[in-house]
Amino acid sequence: MMLGDDLLRWAPELWLSAGALLLLLASVTTRRARHVTSLIFWATWCIAAGSLWFVQLLPHGAAFSHLILLDSLSSVFRWLALGSVGLVGLLLARASDVDPAWRGEALGLLLMVGVGLMLMAEANHLLMAYLSMELVSLGSYCLVGLSRDARSSEAALKYFLFGALVSGIMLFGMSLLFGATGTLSFAEIWNALARLNELSVRVCVLAAALLLAGLAFKISMVPFHLWTPDAYEGAPIAVTALLSVGPKAAGLALVLRVMVALGPMWERLAPTMVLLTIVTMTLGNVVAVSQRNIKRMLAYSTIAQAGYLLIGFVVNSNVGLEALLVYLVAYLFMNLGAFACVQAVCQEPAPAGEEAAPQAVGGESLEAFRGLSRRAPALAASLAVFLLSLAGLPPLAGFIGKFLLFGAAVEAHHPFLALAAVLNSAVALAYYVNIIRLMYVAEAPESAPMPVALSIRAAVAICAAATIGLGLWPHLLLEWLSHLA
Amino acid sequence: MILSALLLLPFLGFIGVLLMPKTSVRSIRRIATVITGLTLILGVSLAATFQPHLTTIQFEERLAWIPQLGVFYHVGVDGLSITMVLLTTLLAFLACLASWSIMERQKEYFALYLLLEVGMLGTFVALDLFLFYVFWEVVLVPMYFLIGIWGGGRREYSAFKFFVYTLAGSLVMLLGILTLYFQAHTFDLTMLAVVGPSLDLRLQQFLFLAFFLGFAIKVPVFPFHTWLPDAHVDAPTPVSVLLAGVLLKMGSYGFLRISYPLFPHAAQWFAPAMATLGVINIVYGGFVAMAQTDFKRLVAYSSVSHMGFVLLGLSSLTPEGMNGALLQMFTHGTITGGMFLLVGVLYDRTHTRQLDAFGGLGAVVPRYTACLYVFGLASLGLPGLSGFVGEFLSLAGTFGVWPWQTAVSVLGIVAAAAYMLTVLQRVLLGPVNPRWAHMPDMTVRELISVVPLFVLVVLVGVYPLFVLSLQDAGIHALIRHVLG
Repeated sequence: MMLGDDLLRWAPELWLSAGALLLLLASVTTRRARHVTSLIFWATWCIAAGSLWFVQLLPHGAAFSHLILLDSLSSVFRWLALGSVGLVGLLLARASDVDPAWRGEALGLLLMVGVGLMLMAEANHLLMAYLSMELVSLGSYCLVGLSRDARSSEAALKYFLFGALVSGIMLFGMSLLFGATGTLSFAEIWNALARLNELSVRVCVLAAALLLAGLAFKISMVPFHLWTPDAYEGAPIAVTALLSVGPKAAGLALVLRVMVALGPMWERLAPTMVLLTIVTMTLGNVVAVSQRNIKRMLAYSTIAQAGYLLIGFVVNSNVGLEALLVYLVAYLFMNLGAFACVQAVCQEPAPAGEEAAPQAVGGESLEAFRGLSRRAPALAASLAVFLLSLAGLPPLAGFIGKFLLFGAAVEAHHPFLALAAVLNSAVALAYYVNIIRLMYVAEAPESAPMPVALSIRAAVAICAAATIGLGLWPHLLLEWLSHLA
Repeated sequence: MILSALLLLPFLGFIGVLLMPKTSVRSIRRIATVITGLTLILGVSLAATFQPHLTTIQFEERLAWIPQLGVFYHVGVDGLSITMVLLTTLLAFLACLASWSIMERQKEYFALYLLLEVGMLGTFVALDLFLFYVFWEVVLVPMYFLIGIWGGGRREYSAFKFFVYTLAGSLVMLLGILTLYFQAHTFDLTMLAVVGPSLDLRLQQFLFLAFFLGFAIKVPVFPFHTWLPDAHVDAPTPVSVLLAGVLLKMGSYGFLRISYPLFPHAAQWFAPAMATLGVINIVYGGFVAMAQTDFKRLVAYSSVSHMGFVLLGLSSLTPEGMNGALLQMFTHGTITGGMFLLVGVLYDRTHTRQLDAFGGLGAVVPRYTACLYVFGLASLGLPGLSGFVGEFLSLAGTFGVWPWQTAVSVLGIVAAAAYMLTVLQRVLLGPVNPRWAHMPDMTVRELISVVPLFVLVVLVGVYPLFVLSLQDAGIHALIRHVLG
């Protein structure tokens, strides 16, 4: 029974979808019942994780009439998607910038986006690629707009308009590709491309460029990064955390998939891609230095990080792929960990008895971090670990990833790419260390210890343990990846 | 196992201090002192059981760490590193005693201090390039905090400058490491020393320069020295001791351990430049030191000058010159470490470091005076004290190879005499400044932290073979390897 087999191998996504629908229903009927929605969310997450563990053992291959591909690559990205959904779920649980009445919907949408992220990594067909990206995008637009203040709505609208435009561009690219090759399936596109005449090849290059533009939007690669700082700043912090990791990872997965199909085009696209990679990381880092709002700073930081990640892709080698996967795993933990700390600081509840807006105490200025090491030592130490890992200092997870990525650039004989990455790492240190300086070194007014919610503590602890652990024992991660491959 | 114990001990101390409540300052201090003391004992017993005549790696340990990348936890010592390990454990213990005067946030201080010791020791014992790089970078973070939190003056600026400068250098080194790895497919330094010399000369030169940048910033070689005066002056006393005593040596040790054995042809190609840079360091550092009015800044610039002798000796590729360079690394660590401790003693009492503010202290604090005389004279290279031996050997070894550079660098010794005698004169001689007429002399704890260095300065000055015998076989082996 083919369909039964396929459904079984796709069970994690099915569970997540069912959970998402249930959550949306439940939050309509039982408003303000936080415990019910949390329970449904975590039950769904655990079942999905369990079934994902189980389906790894099943044979790899295409499913649903070759619409999706369940192989070792998608398996890594499914775990990444599930991991980011889980950690963001922890952050959402105490997010004061999300209306409590909408928390159930938020969790439901989060699971839905999770399904989309997984599908993006599994897509083996242009239709599926488009559908999965739209699933992620639509969910994200809503999530960005969940906050009660006007900035959030503005951010959601900007994100939506930019996203809709890019979707259109991408669709146009797909239609050109379909016109030239007569098929939507990645494997058949590859075959068709090999037989094309020069004119059609040119059309296909244009199509590939348009298609990549859509994906570049998801990864926030220059010049399609413009939405990033505004959307990140306006969105609730937990959602920003999700956007900075989930769609980036899934976007890269889809880029990898698409480029397998467009393999024959690669020679013509490569120089531009290498150049854009360098521009992406440089622009992200240079602009981040001058930011005074922590969310905007991290937004530009994620643009720079996307640049590093793209190295693994543009070198087009096995070493590059491995490096990309390692860095993505490291990035998941260190970036979400950093956002968890930011949420703890920026949404510090006002002291009891004072009537204050939720963000009155913390605020999103970098100044909110001043003297944090004395108010919340464990939180400050964790944030320092995340930032140093993002900066690529050993022995933390980010270092191993960067080491492999830079190594991939060297191995593929891209000396300028490697040099640009190295120089960028030095620039990036400036703004990462600036926060550490504010937390530890700068003079600070003495103030009361800062309370940190349990769920955020859990998220921070998980991320910190993973960031340090993967840095000290990276062979475990490498072994896991090689087992999958 | 002794080397792993050497690394594990301060690491356990780091964990131990972290687990203590921050209010029990006395126990934290005791833990740190005991741990650094035990590490010193291990270091001394390491040197005592070290077989000086062997050229092979001793106390070697090799365990797979990241087998997929061929990274090993590979540690060991030979003639090039044994004196550095000894110096590190010694200075770490003495500076820990001096750290008792740290008055705020002691828990964080001692935790970072012990982590710093792990990094420093690891750098000197690592025989795997990846491991070396990890330890090299591990040093940066605690050092940043130690300068930034407990320093004085423009501490934030100085700490940041130190961090960014050294990281920029080490990132370029990382590029070199990666390029080398994809040529040789190993990180093992003993294997790389076999593969490296057979690489294409152009590639060797590129790699040499990439590593050079990383090491040169640490040494520091002119014009990469601008972080040094800021960091040394603004760091708290014990941290200045480690900065000048150990961290600068990490740079020159990198030349001996990595640049020279791995890229011998490039090293010979670069030797004239190295000699010239050494001369610039010696003369420039000496003259800038002469112009200083701040005691600590003067000692900091004298370090630039003294490290020039290390570069000069390295450029000679003769046994005398190289032995002189390595010995100079050891003696500079002890002399400058002692100088910074003495500056700290004075600063703790007077809260000023301006040389004009003192005068006639020789009549007030006799014990302090004796110490300052010995370290000052050793620093200017008086025969009979240890500073002379290293500088003489490196000049003697280099004269036959680079006569002009050597001749010019003697100017630096004249400058050293000028600035050191000025220091002694302004601080100790002349009429007593009435403000300090009742200054207390050095306490027992301060004496304990200075006297061992005092003894070493005299001992090595009178009987240099005491240190030379440990390193000589290693130096000869290195020169044989480089010259083929």
